[in-house]
Amino acid sequence: MPILETKYLTKTFGGLVALNEVCFELNENEILGIIGPNGAGKTTFINVISGIYLPSSGKVVFHGKDISELPAHIRCKLGIGRTFQIVRPLQGLSLLQNVMLGSLFGRGNSLKEARKEARGICEFLDLAQIERDIAKLTVLEIKKMEIARALATKPKILFLDEVMAGLNIDETKEMIESVQKIRAQGISICVIEHVMSVIRELTERVIVLDRGEKIAEGPYEGVSDNPRVISAYLGEEE
Amino acid sequence: MKNWRYVAYTVIIAIAILFPFYTGTYLQHTATAILIYLSLALSWDMLLRTGQISFGIAGFFGIGGYAAALTHLNWGIDPLLGIILGGVAAFFIALLLGLIVLHLRGLYFAIVTLALAEIFRVIVRNLHGLTGGPEGSVLPTAIFGGDPSKIYWLVLAITIITIIVSEIFQKTRIYFATTSIRNDELVAKSSGIDIFKYLIFVFAVTSAIQGIIGSSYAHQYAFVTPEETFHIHFTLLPMAMCLLGGMYTTMGPVVGALVLGTIADYLKLQLPYGHLLVYGVVIVIVILFMPRGIVGTVRERLERGK
Repeated sequence: MPILETKYLTKTFGGLVALNEVCFELNENEILGIIGPNGAGKTTFINVISGIYLPSSGKVVFHGKDISELPAHIRCKLGIGRTFQIVRPLQGLSLLQNVMLGSLFGRGNSLKEARKEARGICEFLDLAQIERDIAKLTVLEIKKMEIARALATKPKILFLDEVMAGLNIDETKEMIESVQKIRAQGISICVIEHVMSVIRELTERVIVLDRGEKIAEGPYEGVSDNPRVISAYLGEEE
Repeated sequence: MKNWRYVAYTVIIAIAILFPFYTGTYLQHTATAILIYLSLALSWDMLLRTGQISFGIAGFFGIGGYAAALTHLNWGIDPLLGIILGGVAAFFIALLLGLIVLHLRGLYFAIVTLALAEIFRVIVRNLHGLTGGPEGSVLPTAIFGGDPSKIYWLVLAITIITIIVSEIFQKTRIYFATTSIRNDELVAKSSGIDIFKYLIFVFAVTSAIQGIIGSSYAHQYAFVTPEETFHIHFTLLPMAMCLLGGMYTTMGPVVGALVLGTIADYLKLQLPYGHLLVYGVVIVIVILFMPRGIVGTVRERLERGK
């Protein structure tokens, strides 16, 4: 049984159909890629699954249970973690305090337990000098902090929304290693990514979204040859 | 370093408690007024830490005042118990209204809380039989027979409790919840925070504090009227104090209230007719040149000096 599935998931904003009857399954301990051109609905898809938006129709099923109507903070506690495409560090808090947030509220830990857990997670992701103010971090560190904050909620599924964007080659390599380490802990991961080399290296399977619809699914090699996918990215041949 | 801090706190509290022994009635009166505004400023800041700007301080202050005065008049409830009842009344009214208005944010929340305070005043004004209508109600005597030192100690106790509550809000998980709700609600809910629950909790607790202060004020002056008890200066002055001292800390509103309260009183004596003008100029200058308030600016300087 898949750990997460969506059934005919649709999200409209007024007349705009952002997601159109998307069906997908995420298996236990899998790394799945979600690709598609800009505006395809990838981030909306994550937002509907994590509860930022409620679906217009269709269902989100987690562990066999329909969670479509649950608010975001409950879904977080159930085990759906995520990062944000545009990084969202909390100003005024230190790196460690940002990470503690997930442990404090996602799991209801005490301050002391949360501090200990957050330290462990920072160490796991090679984040050093964790007492630093969040304003003094590099891009890589902020991206890692976002992952750490999500990990602190002890997710069963982790959605990574373009965590490689803006990183250089070495940093990307480091990030890929981190993602693989997280998967080795038994967490299922969904990566949204524009960098195709990352998708090829990380994922076993990808789904392709275009204008809110799923147009292809399968291993990256097969999908990248699919004529519908090529036309979605490059446009139709005359 | 930490020990020094406790020594300093103890000395300050001792001076505050002993204050009536070496001052006269006038100064005790002034100090009581400053402490009242200090507590209101601090309670307002506690809600501000969640990003919600309330213009309804006077509303809950007034509810507390009327609750204490009317329960005393009609049922002879002891003033001290009445002060607690004033807080309870404000707490539950804020809880019920919060369920509706805390879906609003920013300007919308601000305007609705301002409107609520006005609605409270209009209701009180029109319930002649219960509240005494536009003339208000007069209590037989002021609390403690109007003894200014005892009233000062009562208000000081309320102030210390408010400061302790504020520090609890700063030192526990509530701090993490309010800071993240203020910064980014998307991150807050994605990290498992029940935003609505925290907003209602903070709104009800801060309104209860405002209600308690309102009730002690009503018992201090032994009367309540719609215009005086719900007066807008109970909203505006605490806000100015908080902005002056610095937001999002316990120290900010405390310093702001002490500075602005003292200046206001001094100016009232020096310039009986122009003091409000000078007062306004002080606020404008400070906000222009120290947007983070006195405490924020001093902390920034100290950190840069390190």
